[in-house]
Amino acid sequence: MRYVFCFLLFAILLFPLFFSFSAFATGVAAGQDEMPRLELTIPDIPEHQDYLGVQGSPGDSFTVEDIDADILLIELFSMYCPFCQEEAPYVNELYEMMQALPADGPRVKIIGLGAGNSAFEVDHFRSTYDVEFPLFPDKDLSMYKALSGAGTPGFIGVKKTAEDGFVIVLRQSGGFHDKKSFLEQLLTSGAKE
Amino acid sequence: MLCKRLYAVIACFLFMILVSATVGITAEKNFRDSLYQSGRLKPTDSELKVKVGDRAPAFSLPSMKGGAVSLAQFAGKKNVVISFVPAAWTPVCSDQWPGYVITRDLFDQFNATLIGITVDNIPTLYAWTRQMGNVWFEVLSDFWPHGDVADQYGLLRSDGTSERALIFIDMDGFIRGIHVSDINVRPPLELIMEGLKNMN
Repeated sequence: MRYVFCFLLFAILLFPLFFSFSAFATGVAAGQDEMPRLELTIPDIPEHQDYLGVQGSPGDSFTVEDIDADILLIELFSMYCPFCQEEAPYVNELYEMMQALPADGPRVKIIGLGAGNSAFEVDHFRSTYDVEFPLFPDKDLSMYKALSGAGTPGFIGVKKTAEDGFVIVLRQSGGFHDKKSFLEQLLTSGAKE
Repeated sequence: MLCKRLYAVIACFLFMILVSATVGITAEKNFRDSLYQSGRLKPTDSELKVKVGDRAPAFSLPSMKGGAVSLAQFAGKKNVVISFVPAAWTPVCSDQWPGYVITRDLFDQFNATLIGITVDNIPTLYAWTRQMGNVWFEVLSDFWPHGDVADQYGLLRSDGTSERALIFIDMDGFIRGIHVSDINVRPPLELIMEGLKNMN
């Protein structure tokens, strides 16, 4: 009986804690936000070109809408952010989970934007943490601002619309901590197109 | 009985997961919220007293790791890059040194080490750098006599903080590069790479 009482006491005490934690950690946008036009440059790593499904010469520009994905997660990070460094291995694991999703399901991909980082700094972050998905510099923070970024690390989930554009369906400020539930959240966020 | 124990174990497990996740998130938020927003400052506010080719002014300062660290102890052994930053708990500085935490390999490539110096005292530096992860480089306090080393290099600003500057000193103790940044802007990592290459 004492154990049951303890369990119930835990549950009662944890409920507000859990509630406040969820409210802070997820920050999921209600409804769908319009996706700003983001221009990126074609990476020089062939595997990244294949992953994104973009064609052209390295250095040529393309837009996020050109990325061959039904669901795209955009990670906002900085080489200089200790919490992004801490999160990097978990984001890599999330990428692995995305790669392991069934082939007949939606195509889920991830890119990273180095907020305030130069190409050299982004490359250093990539090599330090063996990041396999494409990372792009956002030296002047223009993309970060266009996406209304709220600190790093941050995550913005977008889904493809019937018109082949993207809409923002998820926003998260801070690390996701539980990759499985975060992926589930990404997959289920937003209305189906 | 077994079932009750299982409940208790599950409850404890859930509690630990939630607490650890919450603590992690709170740490991120607390660190950001703790920073003092100094606003836009005069880009530079001092006059250099050293130039490239000069022998670097000697110093010995208290280290955050304990004891004192002198420039002389690296003579003939390692190139030295000094990163002066204006003050702890300010936005740009707090967004500079954490990046250096993951650059040790770059310094190793050029047989160099990094020394971070601010005019803050040791307890302040200790509290500030705790959130930066594995700070492998020496963090030294130029607190007393206040800003004395910064002043010897001509990097002490009129408000008692130092400039945001990088000084490249070779193994023979000579200055091989100086970069004083706009205090409001973090110097890019490639600038350090360039300075390291120039010393070899």
